[in-house]
Amino acid sequence: MKDKIMIKVENVSMRFNLGIEKGFSLKQWFVDLGKKKKKVKSEFWALKDVDFEVAKGEVVGFIGSNGAGKSTLLKVVAGVMKPTKGKVESYGNICPMIELGAGFDPQLTARENIYLNGAVMGYSKELIASKFNEIVEFSELKDFLDVPVQNFSSGMVARLAFSIATIVEPEILIVDEILSVGDIAFQAKSEAKMMDLITGGTTVLYVSHSLESVKKLCDKVIWIDHGKVIKIGGKEVCDEYLKFMNIK
Amino acid sequence: MKIINNLVYTYKKYSFLMYQLVSRDFKVKYKRSVLGIVWSLLYPVLTMAVMALVFTNMFKFSTPGVNYLVYLMSGLVIFNYFSEASNLAMSSVVANFSLINKVYIPKYIFPISKCLFVGINFLLTLIPLYAIILITGTGLNIYHLLLPFGFLCLFLFTVGVGLILATISVFLRDMFYIYGVVLTLWTYLTPIMYDIAIIPAKLQIILKFNPLYWFIYFTRDIILYQHIPGINVWLYCLAFALGFFFLGLYVFKKNQDKFIYYV
Repeated sequence: MKDKIMIKVENVSMRFNLGIEKGFSLKQWFVDLGKKKKKVKSEFWALKDVDFEVAKGEVVGFIGSNGAGKSTLLKVVAGVMKPTKGKVESYGNICPMIELGAGFDPQLTARENIYLNGAVMGYSKELIASKFNEIVEFSELKDFLDVPVQNFSSGMVARLAFSIATIVEPEILIVDEILSVGDIAFQAKSEAKMMDLITGGTTVLYVSHSLESVKKLCDKVIWIDHGKVIKIGGKEVCDEYLKFMNIK
Repeated sequence: MKIINNLVYTYKKYSFLMYQLVSRDFKVKYKRSVLGIVWSLLYPVLTMAVMALVFTNMFKFSTPGVNYLVYLMSGLVIFNYFSEASNLAMSSVVANFSLINKVYIPKYIFPISKCLFVGINFLLTLIPLYAIILITGTGLNIYHLLLPFGFLCLFLFTVGVGLILATISVFLRDMFYIYGVVLTLWTYLTPIMYDIAIIPAKLQIILKFNPLYWFIYFTRDIILYQHIPGINVWLYCLAFALGFFFLGLYVFKKNQDKFIYYV
């Protein structure tokens, strides 16, 4: 079972066209009409021929400097973006914790948001109902269940989101810098929960700038720079990365 | 076979999300309003009352042989559904960008959920419509059972238009403003408050290219004139509904992978 491939990323390249003006508007078009506009065709490859596999139960850490393409890679794996080239196959349900609380509606209460966010994550109604108490328990928000989320502090929102996201053991968990949610007590709790998931056989893709936590959690490390995979290996990749950064 | 399997799978997986999105809209809509859902019933009646006052007193509009209030209300209910649903569907994708950017969800779920949400509201507005039918003594008949066909066509047409608008608005944010103007024009090109017979013959031809004209025609034939609409009315309704529905699906599907770059 340990060898079953869960995620297969084959020669994935991702091109962004920087020339694209976000939200083309008529006003801008008229303004630009008079000017001789140079056709700026600046392409930017956020990922280039990325190739790796992740086996069931593996915890993979992604390291690299800002803008190296880590988050883009996770988005491609999560199916949010379609790669320009190459293909991604994943087997099993993916739970992306890329940005917690994205599916919340601030006007709804915590109770309503648990169902809404659960549905966004792809959980069934029965599942959420059966885990409802557990979610409330874990988030420690029992007294605030019927308060609209817009009145929550950001720490409370993060706690609620974390509790919803991790309550079912997803087969593939995508984590982008998240372990620092809530206060110190909750941080310890969420870290323990993550460790539970990880040892429980969940496949985890983990992005972090904290080499400490990558070293602690991951059994496989992928170092990405300028959209290319520099090195795939064990924890020793972290040290090499550190050395490389110091030289620079 | 594979396509059907896929559809069933998608339906199973996302019907709960669809339900949640629609119920979210409902909860948010009536939050903190004292009358709550009563507004769904009251609002169309009040709009109708205002329009009826204006058009019967100031412009002396009338519809020979049938009650003007029922005439006005049946047109309003249908047009309001279309304008509200298509408007919400248009902005639904842009409004949910933060979600689309993080989780994989079939994107068409947003415009369709808006059309469903307004659809439930539409069904509620049938209550005041029927109240007026009864109060004015227009009366009911067995053909009312055919009305769901017209409503279904209206729904499919609106979903199609909504999908097209949602796609365009991702690339062209001006669409929100442009469509506002288009809708105003559309209101006047649809015989909601006037009888089609009072406008010049040339304009009447243009009106017949307006799909909403046919949905309203179908409804009024049954409610006001108490007979089964002619076969050509059925066909026009069906053709416009399916035509726009599939066009919308096609346009949306063709472009949805590009949405993410315009976030």
